[in-house]
Amino acid sequence: MIAAFRSATTNTARALELVRMVLMFLVLGGLLGYALELYVIGHWLPTLQSQIPFYVTIPGVVFVAWIFFDRTTPWVRIAFVVTMLVFVATGLLGAYYHWLWNMLDAGEVDWSFTFAMENFHGFRPILAALAYTNMGVTGLACIYRAR
Amino acid sequence: MIQRLMRAQTDDERTLAFLQNLFLIIAAFGFVFYGVEHWVIDHQTLTHWTALIPGWVSIAGAPLALAMFFSTRRWLTYAFVAVMAVSFLTGLTGALLHLVFNASDLGVSLFSISGFLESMQVPYRPVLAGLAHTHVGAVGLAVGLTAWVKD
Repeated sequence: MIAAFRSATTNTARALELVRMVLMFLVLGGLLGYALELYVIGHWLPTLQSQIPFYVTIPGVVFVAWIFFDRTTPWVRIAFVVTMLVFVATGLLGAYYHWLWNMLDAGEVDWSFTFAMENFHGFRPILAALAYTNMGVTGLACIYRAR
Repeated sequence: MIQRLMRAQTDDERTLAFLQNLFLIIAAFGFVFYGVEHWVIDHQTLTHWTALIPGWVSIAGAPLALAMFFSTRRWLTYAFVAVMAVSFLTGLTGALLHLVFNASDLGVSLFSISGFLESMQVPYRPVLAGLAHTHVGAVGLAVGLTAWVKD
């Protein structure tokens, strides 16, 4: 991204690469910030699924940082795209399971509107998990049509 | 921004316009969503006057972000960029104030590691949640500051 920004010959190409870099920088900041926050709030529980956000952070940081310097190597692009897709899935699954476990805490799984919305505001934040989906979508958008 | 996408002539113009529209959707959704969320959690009924700021920023930001889809007139873009900059600063200030208020409630010092970590863990006043406005502001600034770019 940095090389593409520096070699951009038109205003549009320069603006495009600048937007990509700013948004990728946000993703990088998000990855580190969310991992820190999850650690601080004690999300590292003795279950595999609670540790997934930490594990996906490792390839996330590596490939986001890598893409800043090299986005032409095919396997790096593929690894980056796969990592971002994993982030999208992690966020969606996290939101679903937060909601499900909130319901289980309340004694039953019932997707009727009233009960589901009550547990939407439960102990586990549903929308917070979608931050990972947001980062994944942002990363995919940044690599979209990037030569 | 929609017109910009429809009138794009080159690959770069089309890609830039696509990204601008996509991130404008994220900014608009963020403002609408955070506005509603602040209202749902009664953020505006808190006693400190600073608690009103994120709500007002959302109320100003949502219509401006939606309007940017249909027009990039000079006054609108300037207003949009200004509100995005305010949103960016609101998030940073909000996170800092959440941290300071948490430390004050707990009676700990933010200049010690244990006090800092304790202040980060207060569930009813989340520190990093404040940065959501910074995120929306940064995304909006990326769109607004490139809204008129042409070759």
